[in-house]
Amino acid sequence: MNEPWPVTDLDPVRRLHALAGGVRGAYVTEAYVDAPFERVWSLLGDLEGAFGQVVPDMERLRVVRRQGRHVEALVRSRYGMRARLRGVQQPGWCWLQSRFLLLGVAAAPEGPGTRVAFTGGVRLPAHAALIPLGVRREGGRSVQRLTALL
Amino acid sequence: MPDERPQDRTVRLVRAAQRGDTLAMAELLDVLAPYVSRVCAPIALGQGPDAAQEALVAVFKSLRTLKEPAALHGWVRAIAVREAIRIAHRAARTVPADLSALPDRGDPQLSADIKDVLGRLSPEHRAVLMLRDIEGLDERTAADLLGVRPGTLKSRLHRARNTFRKAWTS
Repeated sequence: MNEPWPVTDLDPVRRLHALAGGVRGAYVTEAYVDAPFERVWSLLGDLEGAFGQVVPDMERLRVVRRQGRHVEALVRSRYGMRARLRGVQQPGWCWLQSRFLLLGVAAAPEGPGTRVAFTGGVRLPAHAALIPLGVRREGGRSVQRLTALL
Repeated sequence: MPDERPQDRTVRLVRAAQRGDTLAMAELLDVLAPYVSRVCAPIALGQGPDAAQEALVAVFKSLRTLKEPAALHGWVRAIAVREAIRIAHRAARTVPADLSALPDRGDPQLSADIKDVLGRLSPEHRAVLMLRDIEGLDERTAADLLGVRPGTLKSRLHRARNTFRKAWTS
């Protein structure tokens, strides 16, 4: 049986579902957008620009350090809260956390369009858990804003 | 930590993830996703991505219950096999080993496609082949993992190999 056995791969949207499964209170908003992956990710991957227009509560994001796929950014929410986010960003994938915030975005090509997924919210410090306030609503608004920008 | 051994890194990531660090969870996902996919694909076939996703959801949901991080690999393997068999059954892909429908000897399409041959086995038979012939587990370990007696495992493996061989050479 030296023939190649079947293989499979997890696209970033499936990866986001898997990871969010381990974060209590997390909800993944998934949607199909009718635009190619490259166009969608040019917006979602633009952390200091279009990304802030997609994520509803973010007023400003400034990348202060970037090493390969590792990113560190300062964010200010529309409610005045500040946070230092740390995490990973690569094509189709962005996962950032601060002590109090979590933000996860994924995108994968699907046919002529792109499947996108959002998760995140306010963290319980020292727990893999989110406070489940408005988490679903935020995800839905992110999809609406992204669609409007495309 | 550039000089860290892979197993030390894995243990560190598990402990950090258990403390609630979602960045450690994301790194752990990078480590586990290729392995879980490799275990799930031969068992769940067309449902491989669903099975791998469900297995990883189960892994991260119950990561806190893993007492010994060094045992991660075997623990994840057990979850992946269980989820792959469950998803394969759920998709009603349980195909009895009916060799009567096999194409003629020398059919180029079948002879080149191991996935097609595996599709003629039940998920349990695919799981036992994967555990013994890809993962290289001994009979007792594979039996424990599948929750069957070593004797059952032995006969199941014999039937699976036999069916596979017949389908492959038909």
